Amino acid sequence: MLRNGGKKNDDPMKQKKDLLVMWLLLLTASGFSQKTDMVLIPDGNFVPFIKGQTTSIKVQSFWMDENPVTNAEFIAFVIANPQWKPENVKSIFADKDYLSHWKDTIVNSNTISGEKFPVVNVSWFAANDYCKSVGKRLPTMYEWEYAGASLPEGSNDNKILNELITRWYSRQNTGLSNVGSIYRNQFGVWDMYGQIWEWVYDFNSISSNEDSRNKEEIPEGFFCGSAALNASDASDYVTFIRYAFRSSLKGEYTVRKLGFRCAKNVESED
Amino acid sequence: MKTKKIYHRKAIMAIWFIALILFNIRCSSDTESEIVDLNKSVEVEVTAVLTDAPLVPPRIQAKANTKVIVHLEVIEKTMRLADGVDYTFWTFGGKVPGKFIRIRKGDQVEFHLHNHPDNMLPHNIDLHAVTGPGGGAEASLIAPGKSAQFSFRALNEGLYVYHCATAPVGMHIANGMYGLILVEPLEGYTPVDHEFYVMQSEFYTSGTFGAKGHQDFDMQKALDEKPDYVVMNGSVGASAGQNAMTVKVGETVRLFVGNAGPNLVSSFHAIGEIFDKVYVEGGSLINRDVQTTLIPAGGSAIVEFKCQVPGTLHLVDHSIFRAFNKGALAQIKVIGDENHTVYSGKEKEEVYLPEGSAIQHISSPKTTVSQQAVPEKTLEERLAAGEILYKQNCMACHMENGNGIGGTFPPLMNSDFLQARPDKGIGIVLHGLQGEITVNGNNYNNIMPAVALSDDQTASVLTYIFNKFNNKKELIKGADVKEWREKE
Repeated sequence: MLRNGGKKNDDPMKQKKDLLVMWLLLLTASGFSQKTDMVLIPDGNFVPFIKGQTTSIKVQSFWMDENPVTNAEFIAFVIANPQWKPENVKSIFADKDYLSHWKDTIVNSNTISGEKFPVVNVSWFAANDYCKSVGKRLPTMYEWEYAGASLPEGSNDNKILNELITRWYSRQNTGLSNVGSIYRNQFGVWDMYGQIWEWVYDFNSISSNEDSRNKEEIPEGFFCGSAALNASDASDYVTFIRYAFRSSLKGEYTVRKLGFRCAKNVESED
Repeated sequence: MKTKKIYHRKAIMAIWFIALILFNIRCSSDTESEIVDLNKSVEVEVTAVLTDAPLVPPRIQAKANTKVIVHLEVIEKTMRLADGVDYTFWTFGGKVPGKFIRIRKGDQVEFHLHNHPDNMLPHNIDLHAVTGPGGGAEASLIAPGKSAQFSFRALNEGLYVYHCATAPVGMHIANGMYGLILVEPLEGYTPVDHEFYVMQSEFYTSGTFGAKGHQDFDMQKALDEKPDYVVMNGSVGASAGQNAMTVKVGETVRLFVGNAGPNLVSSFHAIGEIFDKVYVEGGSLINRDVQTTLIPAGGSAIVEFKCQVPGTLHLVDHSIFRAFNKGALAQIKVIGDENHTVYSGKEKEEVYLPEGSAIQHISSPKTTVSQQAVPEKTLEERLAAGEILYKQNCMACHMENGNGIGGTFPPLMNSDFLQARPDKGIGIVLHGLQGEITVNGNNYNNIMPAVALSDDQTASVLTYIFNKFNNKKELIKGADVKEWREKE
C-alpha cells in the first residue's frame, strides 16, 4: 500500500532477465552522456536563513553545473563504478529505493526517454561519489542557496521566484522532464527550482556535522513550532520548506524527487 | 506532581460536597477521572479502525491496558474544494480532514506515520493528545517514501486535534493536514444513537471564493488571516445537501467537532437545535443548554443533542458570513413525524404593516369582524375617518396621491377599473384581490390581501378613495358594505 514503487516480488529468474535487459539499455544510453557545462558563480554576500553568529556571510566564487546530473550521465558513472549498481550497493550507502525508477522509465517503456531527465532516487553517498568521479564536489548549502536565490532571467522582482516555487509546491507532483526546461536564472544556472530537490554537501549542516549518519544535533524544534524563532525571515515559506526537507534526510535516503548537481572550486580549475 | 494531585483531589471533593447539597446528586456521572497507572502492563493489542468525516470509528471494546496500533499515511492529492474548484491538498489519509482516531485513556499507542513516495514534501505529526516534545512531531519528521514510528501513552481524556508541524507549519495546516483523535474516558461516553465527525478549517486561495480551476495556496492571504473559504469537512458542501448526515426524529446525536484553523476561531452553532450538553473545549467540563460554543483554532468541542422534530439542522460557524458566503455549513437531516407540541411549523402568515394598521389576512377569514349594526355618517365624517384609514392601510402601496407604483401597484386615481366595479371596490377591501387586472390600460398581476376593516371603516376608506382621487363622487354607506359582505 505504501510503496507502490517497491513491489519487487516477481520471481527471481524474471528479475535477473529484467536486469540484463536494463544493463544492455544502459550501455546504449551511456553513449548519450556528455560533458556537463559549468557556470562560474561570482562571489557575493548571502544572508543565511537560520540565525547564527553572522547575519551575512560571503560566498566565494565557484563553478556550478548548469544542469542537474541526468540519468544518462549517472548511467555512465554506474557502469564505470559497478559498486554503485543497484544490486551491489550496500544498504548503509543507499536505501532499497536506490535508482528504483530506472526500471520504470528506461526498461519498461523499452525506450530511454528519461535519459535527459535529472537522475533521482540517489543517496547522498552516491551523489558525492559521482561528483568526485568527475573531479568535482557537491555544492555546499550556502553555495546552493546563494546560487538558487538568483532571479529568473529577465525578471527583477523577488515575488516572481517565490511564486514560481510556491506554485511548484502547490500542484500535485507530476512526472519529470528534461533538464534545462523550467527556467534559467541570472547566473545562467538552470532549474534550481520547479522540478527536483537537490542534495548539498552539508545537507544536515544545521548541525554542522558532515557525517550524515549522525544527525542528532539539529536545533530542537527547528522544523516544528519554534522554527519561527530561529529563522531570519519567518515569512519566507519556501525557504522553510527546503530546510525542513533537508532536515528530514539521512545520507542513505533516496527520494523520487531528489537529485543533485556538482560544483567545483575556482582554484582547482586549471 | 504529588502535591498537585492532592490539591486536585481536595478541590474535587469540595465541589462534590457542594454539588450534593445544591443539586441533590444530579451529576452522578461526573465522577473524578482516574489517573493512568503507568506500571500496568499491556494485555491486548489492536489495530485502530480509522474513518473519514463525518463517520466516527466504533469504541474499542477490548479490556483496559490495550496497545493500539495506528497507521496513518500522508498523501498529497488534488481534489475538489468547491464545484469547479480544485486544490492540491496535503492529507492525513487521503481526505480532509484527516482520519478520525479513537483510543481510550490509558491506552498505549504505537503510531506509524508513512509519507507516500510520490509526495513532494517532508511531513510529521503533532497530536495534541500526546504528552511529549512536539506532540510526536520531533519523532515523526519523514522524507517522502519513509515511515516513522513512535509510541505514547494516552494520559488525558478528551477530543484532541492533530496536525502536521513541519515548517512552515501554517502552510501545512492551511493545505489540509489535520484531524481529530478522541481519547475516550475509560467508562466511555453515554450511549447515543449517532456519532459524527465535523471539522472546520479555512483555505487561502490565489483566486477569490468560487473562482474556477486549480487554486494555489496564497501566502499573503494566510498572513493577513483573510481566507476565501471556511469549510466544514474539507470542502464546500462536503457534509451538506446530498452528503448531509441523516438521523431520525427522537434520536440522540453526539458531534465531535474540531477547528483546525489555521487562523480563525469558530462560533459553532446548530441552526434549529440547542446543545443539551457541551464538553467545553473537548475536555471534561460539561456545560448544558448551549446555543453557540466557541472552538479555538487547534481546539475542539463535543456537543450532544436530541433531534425532536423533523427538518434540516444547519451546523455553522455563527460568524455568519463564513457560513453563507465562504462555505462553513454542514447539515443534519432529521427524518420523521412532526411533533407539534415541540414545534408547530407555520401556523399562519400575515402581512405586517407597522403603521398601526389593521391586520391583513392573506386568506380571507370568514368572521373576523363582528357583525354589528353599521352607523351611517355624513360625507365629511367619512372623508375625515377615511383619510386616516387610507394612510394606515393603503398608502404604503397605492401612495399618498393615489397613483400607485408603475407596473406593481395599480393607481386609485381616475381608476376605470374601480369605477366599473358594481361593488365600488368593497369586495376588494373585504376579500383582497389576486391575479391579472387592467387599470387605465396597464396590466397588473399581483396580490392584495384582504384588509380587516369593519363595515364602517370600509365605507369611510372607500368614500375617501372615490372623492379624493377623481373618481365618481360617491358616499359609500355602511349598509352597502354589510350587504356585500353578506353576499359572500
